[in-house]
Amino acid sequence: MNILEFSQNSYLTSFFLFCFALILYVFTVAGRRKNQEAHLKKWGTISFAVTVLGFVAQLAYFITRWIGSGHIPLSNMYEFMSFLAIMIIAAYIVMHFIYRSAALGLFAVPLAILMMGYASVFPSEVQPLIPQLKSIWLILHVSMVGASEAFFAVGFVAGIMYLVHTMRWDDTTKRKSQIALEFSLFTVIIILGYVVTVFGYRAAGYEVELQRTVEVVETIDNNTQISNKPDTISYTLPPIFAATNSKVVGDEKFLGMQLPLMEVPAAMDSHKTARKMNTVTWSLMSGLLLYGLIRLIIRKPIAKALQPLLRGMNPDDLDEISYRATAIAFPVFTLGGLIFAMIWAQEAWGRFWAWDPKEVWALITWLFYSAYLHLRLSRGYHGEKSAWLVVIGFIIVMFTLVGVNLLIVGLHSYAGV
Amino acid sequence: MEFQNTKCECGHQNPTQTILCEACGKPLHESDNETSVLEMRYDGVARKSQKANPSVIDRVWNFFSSVKIAVIVIIITLIGASLGTIYPQESQFINFDPSTYYKENYGTIGHIYYLLGLSHTYESWWFISLLVMIGASLVICSLDRVLPLYRALHKQKIRKHDQFLRRQRIVYEQQLSNAMHQGDWIQKAQKALKRKGYRVYEQDGAILAEKNRFSRWGPYINHIGLIVFLLAVLARSIPGWNLEYYAAFPHNEPRPIENTPFYLENEKFTVEYYTKEEMPEQFAKEGRVIPKLFETQATLYRCVANCDDPLAEPKLEEVHKHNIRVNEPLKYEDLMIFQYDFDLTPKLVAVKPNLKNPKTNEIYGSFELNISKSEPKYTVGPYTLELREKYMDFDLGKDGKPITKTPNPNAPAFLFMIKGPGLEETGEPYFYFPLQKDKQRFREDVLNQEIMKKIQIDVQSMADVTIQESLSYLNVRIEKALPYIWVGAGISMIGLVMGFYWQHRRIWLRLNENQLLLGAHTNKNWYGMRNEVARILRETELEVDVNAIDRGGDKS
Repeated sequence: MNILEFSQNSYLTSFFLFCFALILYVFTVAGRRKNQEAHLKKWGTISFAVTVLGFVAQLAYFITRWIGSGHIPLSNMYEFMSFLAIMIIAAYIVMHFIYRSAALGLFAVPLAILMMGYASVFPSEVQPLIPQLKSIWLILHVSMVGASEAFFAVGFVAGIMYLVHTMRWDDTTKRKSQIALEFSLFTVIIILGYVVTVFGYRAAGYEVELQRTVEVVETIDNNTQISNKPDTISYTLPPIFAATNSKVVGDEKFLGMQLPLMEVPAAMDSHKTARKMNTVTWSLMSGLLLYGLIRLIIRKPIAKALQPLLRGMNPDDLDEISYRATAIAFPVFTLGGLIFAMIWAQEAWGRFWAWDPKEVWALITWLFYSAYLHLRLSRGYHGEKSAWLVVIGFIIVMFTLVGVNLLIVGLHSYAGV
Repeated sequence: MEFQNTKCECGHQNPTQTILCEACGKPLHESDNETSVLEMRYDGVARKSQKANPSVIDRVWNFFSSVKIAVIVIIITLIGASLGTIYPQESQFINFDPSTYYKENYGTIGHIYYLLGLSHTYESWWFISLLVMIGASLVICSLDRVLPLYRALHKQKIRKHDQFLRRQRIVYEQQLSNAMHQGDWIQKAQKALKRKGYRVYEQDGAILAEKNRFSRWGPYINHIGLIVFLLAVLARSIPGWNLEYYAAFPHNEPRPIENTPFYLENEKFTVEYYTKEEMPEQFAKEGRVIPKLFETQATLYRCVANCDDPLAEPKLEEVHKHNIRVNEPLKYEDLMIFQYDFDLTPKLVAVKPNLKNPKTNEIYGSFELNISKSEPKYTVGPYTLELREKYMDFDLGKDGKPITKTPNPNAPAFLFMIKGPGLEETGEPYFYFPLQKDKQRFREDVLNQEIMKKIQIDVQSMADVTIQESLSYLNVRIEKALPYIWVGAGISMIGLVMGFYWQHRRIWLRLNENQLLLGAHTNKNWYGMRNEVARILRETELEVDVNAIDRGGDKS
């Protein structure tokens, strides 16, 4: 077994350990015993110990991959998302030592699992570094961004927990926040649906080629000629959407239906946008299916079903955890996400600030959290409003991380989607 | 004007708008029966902006001194900034026409985007105004609060009013048992507080314990850093502080750097790619090409004489050598030079053709023809060649007439008028193509059918051809504001760390006979505060329920 294989095995081990820890956390928090306090203490410790084991396995993955590849594993989306998962667990461990809350693990660990799953959607091969990334700032900038975003994530988790805990389901005037909270959880389910679908089809080895002919204008030795050339793209999910006039190569069908089912609107007519739209459609469909199944089993909104699990928590503490985590993250984000980013941009491109979309969104994240931190000073911005703000903040963080790469292309395009 | 009595019962005269007496901390405008948690921001002192009878300047000051306004400006700025990321900004392109680009690429919505001026969001007057407003707010908000807060914290009274203590968020009241001597307990409490790192002040049975006051200055230091940063950004527009241009540097040819006395020579440009063994199998199979290194071995010269004389050769003095790579720019004085791009297409620099008689193969002589710096007339043996036309990138237009497609020497062609023995008195035209591929493509032998029977221009061997192999595009920068930008960012970081990773904690104690009254305040982290208070009390042998002493925060 070579070192990179060992690294991948550690990654898998940590993934399963976290799944196991999650089950333990559910048992800790939901299992009722006569001696509630002793039960919480015993099983809380066991769950935490398994989480720490998973963290050790994650560290083993990170270190061995660093050694095996010769550069810090922070150079593409797979590596960064995996690192974010490591940092979320690290941030959770830090918060655990301050606040000793088993319920926080119940929410933080699944978020890390989801991040690891999402990371694995991206190609996991070790890639050689392009010249732009060969810099000490790769380590400093990217690792600090990962660390700060993990604390933002824990702030978000505590915010969601606060909202789940304090939601009054019998109060009809709270209809809007009830729906908004359930929708937030639904969004998380969509990401889960996306990961599950991609892995399902990948396990089945699904791949289909779509082809269409495009007119290419060529100039060869001064003669301009228009020729028809085949333009192919490969899908790893069954094509519901495809670019106009594309046909499946071979005889692939989906549930007996001819593929592709639909063509994208003319404004988005390219193979790549069509494939993105196809992926989004699949994520939504599988998310809805998954959500429907969950609702069918528990027969009430997920947020409502989660509420009893948080019985033992003090909402004031949750409010404070979410604020503390965000306050820990903010200076680290300022240093890693803006200042180090500017220094690196100056070294590599000769401009410390170029209004590149990724930069702008990092600035937006920073401005948003600074608005949040100022609002915390005012009366009336503790508790529910504050919790909603950290939820929105984390959505902005995720958009900066993933959305900008998906929807807007800029200088950071090598971060790859 | 409404008269407001601001004199506290302790005898202290407070400025108007003071919430808590500056001296004893008694709430000034509330009934004595009120029990809610006190508003402790800025220790209840009146902010600078809160005065009676504001003038116009006061009103502007008051507007910017509001945190609410600051938050609104921040939110508008972030929404505005996000609009600029919808489509690429104009500044990302060189040589393009924005009035058609957005319409062609993004349709009507794109055109509206352009018309609204969102295609240059970050240079627009409204966006810059928002940044200026943030700057104004930073200055005014800070000044408005920091001075009164400094005064309040500088001269704190140790003995505070009972109501002030009882209305803190963390409160503990207990009758000390008679067995415990008052003085002993105070001693014990002081020791316990000191062990936790508090500075303890005592005055007739009252204690004020305080730690990490410096963390209160964090936000203001952060704001000072941000102001320095914003001013440094503004300073970039001072003439000469900021230079940015992109230039091509051909191999072994010193080129002047505009507006500076410097010349730069690209001595060698290297590009390396990863080999198949260094790439993952999948990549190698797909035939992907991943660059490993871009490097320009550069020499920087200073021009010491003949710098502005176009006819004389400038006199250069070597000052610096550096291998410019991505992430490793050349730095000399204020000058920074970055690797930006490259072009490895070989380009013809000069040829040294012969003039010969095709029948006898007699060579009359040769001449040096520099492609970009050609001369109007060449003399070779008994012949003279007058240059009539030069085409850098030769092609035939629609009407069959020769044209130049681009200014790059991709397909150079020269039209000479040759005079000499055996040729017509007025001279005969000769189209000369130095490159072999062009000779065939444009049928040199057909164009020159008549004259080529008498005379031919031809290169003998590759030794007579000079080809320039590489062109390195470099980005030349001067950014004099840079040190100030980093200093601003550094100050800001120090302030953030001070403010966020330490908390200002205060504990007030009063013993009225044997009745102990404790109030505690922190600017954040109440969880830590209440645990600390409980631990300190336990050390003085008082059993405390941690959760019972925290009355909970702002629930409104």
